[in-house]
Amino acid sequence: MRIALAGNPNSGKTTLFNAITGKIEYVGNWPGVTIARKEGDVKKALNKGGSKIRVIDLPGAYSLSPFTTEENITSEFVKNENPDVIINIIDVTNLSRSLFFTTQLLELGIPLVIALNKSDLLKKKGIVVNSLVLEKQLGCPVMETASTTGSGLLELIEQAKIVYGKTQSAPFTGYSKSASGQAADDKLKHERFAFVNQLVKEVEMRKVASSKQTIQDTADRIIANKILGIPIFGAIIYLVFSLSQTYLGPLFADYLVGWIDTLYDYTEGLMGAEVSPVLSSLLLDGIIGGVGAVMGFLPLIMVLFFLLALLEDSGYMARVAVVMDRYLKKVGLSGKSIIPMVIGTGCAIPGVMATRTIRDERQRRTTAMLTPFMPCGAKLPVIALFAGVFFSDAAWVGTSMYFVAILVIVVGALIVQRITNEGPSKSYFIMELPDYRLPSLKRALISMMSRAQAFIIRAATIILVCNAAVHIMQTFTWSFQVVEPGMENSSILASISSPFALLFIPLGFGVWQLAAAAIAGFIAKENVIGALAVVYGLTNFIDTEEFELVAGAGDVASVMGLTSVAALAYLMFNLFTPPCFAAIGAMNAEMDSKRWLWAGIGFQLGVGYTLAYFVYQFGTLITTGSLGAGVIPGLAGIAAFFSIIAYLIRRNDQKLRHDLKEAV
Amino acid sequence: MELTVAHNICKNNLSGTREESVKQNLNLTGVEINYPYKIKEIDTEDDNMKEFLFALGCYEGEKATVISILAENYVINVKDARYSINEELAKAILV
Repeated sequence: MRIALAGNPNSGKTTLFNAITGKIEYVGNWPGVTIARKEGDVKKALNKGGSKIRVIDLPGAYSLSPFTTEENITSEFVKNENPDVIINIIDVTNLSRSLFFTTQLLELGIPLVIALNKSDLLKKKGIVVNSLVLEKQLGCPVMETASTTGSGLLELIEQAKIVYGKTQSAPFTGYSKSASGQAADDKLKHERFAFVNQLVKEVEMRKVASSKQTIQDTADRIIANKILGIPIFGAIIYLVFSLSQTYLGPLFADYLVGWIDTLYDYTEGLMGAEVSPVLSSLLLDGIIGGVGAVMGFLPLIMVLFFLLALLEDSGYMARVAVVMDRYLKKVGLSGKSIIPMVIGTGCAIPGVMATRTIRDERQRRTTAMLTPFMPCGAKLPVIALFAGVFFSDAAWVGTSMYFVAILVIVVGALIVQRITNEGPSKSYFIMELPDYRLPSLKRALISMMSRAQAFIIRAATIILVCNAAVHIMQTFTWSFQVVEPGMENSSILASISSPFALLFIPLGFGVWQLAAAAIAGFIAKENVIGALAVVYGLTNFIDTEEFELVAGAGDVASVMGLTSVAALAYLMFNLFTPPCFAAIGAMNAEMDSKRWLWAGIGFQLGVGYTLAYFVYQFGTLITTGSLGAGVIPGLAGIAAFFSIIAYLIRRNDQKLRHDLKEAV
Repeated sequence: MELTVAHNICKNNLSGTREESVKQNLNLTGVEINYPYKIKEIDTEDDNMKEFLFALGCYEGEKATVISILAENYVINVKDARYSINEELAKAILV
């Protein structure tokens, strides 16, 4: 038996899905979190003695006429894939809108069970719903549920089993297939809503009209305020960062690093002197050292994800979209573009996929191109390391990287708009504002654990393999001889990365070790840390003696031989160049155009290089009074990048003028 | 803007036209806060957007209330939900 979950956005479908299947799919308190269908089986506790029940969670939709791509998925599924039962999830505090979709679903002939979700909020909002009357009028079972507490779920599944195999009749009788055409469609729509309005009058009692001002509205006016909106956002991000990177994170990281050290020593002792030094070095410095360096940052990332999950659950993210809309509109994006970017702080891949909720093709592609600039979970250890080693105030660096990212995105969007602008057009923005709520610690913990698990799996697979490869390439020469001490430049790794290092001279980090780490970062950004640990022979970056990140910062900095300015340039380069290959794959899928993809990658490379160049050269000028090495060649490269952009902008301007003339 | 509205009202009064408010082009950007207005028309060529607004219950004959104005966004109440819409969309909802 297959059950489809369908309902309006943010009615709690995925939370209900997670509660009945025991899965941990991504949830957030804003509309449009789920963008692809998810499947799972009803867990044993809710399906006693029954045969397997498959549940399909669908993206939220307001009606069966799709508006965006992800709504299309829902509409296609319920119409064409014949689920046995549909569970229609309704936000019970918003019957008057939700039932429109319900009446459409009831016409499909598929047995339907209604879950009146969020029923725990009824009392608080002073709403009474007579579900018995609703059940009678609609001709389908109506169950009260609260997916956040799990109440009513067992009964819901039982009802789905009872209706399985039965036919469903539609209560809305205005439906007539004989008439067709625009006028008939319009009439039908209006009749449908009239039917819903009448029904709501019969079953719902509200003590307070929903149009009355509430404390939530007052909160909105402060949080999404014209002047205060951005500073509040900044303060919250700063708080998240200082907690995860300066206070709580390092506290936990300390224990973990201690264990990794113990493992290192234990393995070293276990192997003894008989194992060949090449092999033992591969295992100890390449694998345990490299992976350990990345793993050491796990606690920082877990604290960060925990805090971000709390924020997402609170309803604040939708307000961020509102605050950002006015700025993003000016650069040709929509406020909705902020959602992929927020998701991109976890990982760029789901972030890029979330661009599906944007209707306009140009805006969607631009957002997919710019979303990877947002520092993702894999880039965090890189930020944390450099912030800790080269700057004393880690939270300040982390927070500013987010704002640099936003700035890069805004400027990037402006450039893309100037290149691809198709003339003046209206841009509408509409977003449902979910209620604020007290975030659930349990949900945040679950979200944190699932992201931590993904981090560990990556560290144990792709990062481990890459670090081993880096270590092997560093140990051997092209003739497969072990590199002699003092002859490090003859290794395979050095000879591959040296040409790239030449390109990086104007950026302040023209040594092959740093070039190798940056290149490894294209496979996965955590590799930057792992590879640095391997090439510089460092075992961990977090001090075990004191409760702080990289207390021996001076040592690490001196080993790398970088000034603070060059380190910042290196950090910028790693953050703002093209993302890992997997994210580029996601960009390819969502952009659906090779031209856009290559333009995007070229643009990301240009941005990373330009930022690093100016940070290094200006920074060096300010700190030492003279410019850094390779000013002229670097400038030439950047000039080439800018002339291509200028040429493309001029070409588009000419095209626009031409179009305008033709129109006249 | 107030001047334009005043001007239109004068003009309408002089010519005694019937479809007064349509000519005045009163939309959600020019209404009182916290007061429910009956929607007269959704004035857009974007049929998809019109269809979408319909599914939310935002169509001629239904009520819309402006709850607050935040920078260039309007928080409105339609049916029992709050939406944030931008100025362009607010202008398209005639009341």
